[in-house]
Formats: sequence, C-alpha cells, structure tokens
Amino acid sequence: MAAGIIDIEAPEAGIPVDNAYFESIGLTDEWIKRRSGISTRRWLTARTPLAEVAADACRPLVSRHGDPSTVDALIVVSTSVRQRVPGIAQQVATAAGLPASVLAFDMNAACCGFVYALTTGLSLCDAGRARSVVVCSAEAMSTMVDKTDRQTACIFADGVAAVLLGAREEFAPATHLAGGDGTQKTLMCETDGGGIHLEGAAVYDRAVRRMTEIAERLCAWDPRPSVLVGHQANGRILEQVRAFTAPLDVPFINRIEHLGNTSSASIPLAFGSALRDASVPPRGRLGAVAYGAGEAWGGVSVSYGIG
Amino acid sequence: MSDIERRVSDIMLAKLRVREPSLKDTDFDKSIYDLELDSLDVVELTQILERELKVQADRRQIGSFMLLEEFRSYFVLLATR
Repeated sequence: MAAGIIDIEAPEAGIPVDNAYFESIGLTDEWIKRRSGISTRRWLTARTPLAEVAADACRPLVSRHGDPSTVDALIVVSTSVRQRVPGIAQQVATAAGLPASVLAFDMNAACCGFVYALTTGLSLCDAGRARSVVVCSAEAMSTMVDKTDRQTACIFADGVAAVLLGAREEFAPATHLAGGDGTQKTLMCETDGGGIHLEGAAVYDRAVRRMTEIAERLCAWDPRPSVLVGHQANGRILEQVRAFTAPLDVPFINRIEHLGNTSSASIPLAFGSALRDASVPPRGRLGAVAYGAGEAWGGVSVSYGIG
Repeated sequence: MSDIERRVSDIMLAKLRVREPSLKDTDFDKSIYDLELDSLDVVELTQILERELKVQADRRQIGSFMLLEEFRSYFVLLATR
C-alpha cells in the first residue's frame, strides 16, 4: 500500500491567445514558434479570481471522491497569486466543498511548485497523516509579465490543474529528489517595476542539464516511470531534454504548443492533456521533472491510476 | 584533418545544418552571427558537443567565441586532453 495519484482535473481555463496578439510588439508567429514552440496559450480574464478557477478544478475531484471528509489536506501552489494575506488555500477549500477541518495551505516554489507539493502531499498520505490530499496548481502568469516585453510576454500563460492523492494496494512507494541553489536567484525573478527578468540562454542551458539529470535519476530507481512529464518551460528545452533522455526509452511529454509556460501548473496540465487524448494509459508510473526560479529543481516518481 | 577534428566537425554540421542546410566545414571561418543561428542554437550546439564527446565546456569561454572554428578547436582540445 502506497500513495499515488488517483484522479486529475486539468480544465481549459481562460481564453485562447494566439501568436498574432504579439505582432504589436514586433513578434511574428514564426519567430515565437521557433524560439518557444508555442502557438497558443490561455489567459484568464482580469475579472476572474484565481481562487474561483482553482476551486473549479478541485471541486470535481472532491465530488467524484465520494466522502469529502476523507480529504484531509489541500495544497494550493501558485507563483502568481497577487494577494499574500490571506492565503488562497482556505478560499479554494471552502469553494471546492472541502470540510472546515481540512489542512489547507499555500505553497510557492515557482515552476517547481507542483513537484514539491506532490512530494509533500504524498508524504502526508504515506505517513498516515492524511487519507487523501488534493494538490492544485493555479497560475495567472499573464498578470505577472510585462506584456510589452518581447522576451517573456509570449512565453508565459495561465492555467489551473489539480490531482487527488490517495493510497492503493497496487501502488509502489513514491520516490523524489529535490535541490536548489540560491546563488542563481537572478536567473529568473520578478522585477520591481513589474514583469519577469529571464536570462534566457543561461536558463535554457541549466534547465536542460538539470532536467535531463533528474529524468535519468528517476529512471534509475525501481519501479521506473512509464512516462516522463517535464515542466513545460519552453519547447526548445523540452525537445533537447527529450533527445538527451531518448536512451531511457520512456515517453517524454511535450504539450507546450497549446499551453505555453504555466509555471507550476504546467506538469499536471500536460499530464492531464496526455491522459485525455490517451497518449498515456490511465494507469502507470509518472516521472515529474521540474526546474525553475530559485533556482530550484526536483523530481517525483509516483504511481497513478485514474478511474 | 585528424579523426577527432572530423568527428567534432561532423557533430557541428549535423546540428547546424538544421538551420543552414548548405553549411560545409570550410565555412567554419564564419561568425556565428552571420548564420541563421539564435542564442539557444549556440547553447544547443555546446550541449550536443559536450554529450557526444563526454566533456565539460567552460561557459564563459564559450561565450567569447565568435567563429565556428573557435568552437571546433576548443572541443577538439577538450576531447584530446
């Protein structure tokens, strides 16, 4: 008996924004696709509270689960939530139909947030502190970026996705690794004047090397993942990691073309998308691989069985 | 041309011909900025050479290179150390 992912909700939130939107800042569709692999992304409307969209993703997991009182914890991951106090997790818990007794808290580890929250949630289950846990990533990166910045405006996107964690006899214990290097904090950071500073080539270089190393380590452990899902940072990063991890012979999911970079939400959104179109089977072993601001990195190998 | 020079050239051409299909190793005296390369292509080229040759490049040194020949010479040197 071990904890794993037993349900997922990865809705298409917000409105689609295609590359033509960025012609006003001198970016062509061809240039954006070449630099990022992105054709479209979704942005939430300014009037949509992030807590509401996050609750919309969590609510189906709670209702499908049957007894909400057995969901003992909710972790809401967000890099882009604008209001720090109060936290978003309590609002999401209440709106999603979770009991008042739920342990609900916010987490921010930039693009690594989902992997870190997954590690935390699985640990709560495996330790017997929670019967089941919802992990929700909710991002409105469009509210963080400077929409006139040619380097970042077309990359970042909004999205929300949630998974339900619980224990099953057929699951093998999850394994994880994590790390960070605070000396690299300026590689990616929010600027004082608004917007995101991104040292593109250096981030690309470090992300590829780190994500490849994490994937290789996850695949060296038994049981090895049946599918790898990396943080959907940039299509060029994903394709380079895919090429370098090809000898592992594990499918590597790249869904950035229609998602953009949704920070912490990118892994569950890409995984949900691949499950929805049956690119990956409903049961298997997920290797989630992330790299992001901090700099922070991490990976989780976790069993899943949906439905 | 030595075997290792040939190998480094072949790795570079395989990568760079994705952007410049007609590129030859006699074009290695060209500046990387005269080719249809972007900054990520240069990083990709570096990573592919590192992986294929099982060497570790110095990023600061790579950042100072202007010519493809400088890449070739540097990686030949690394691979023969």
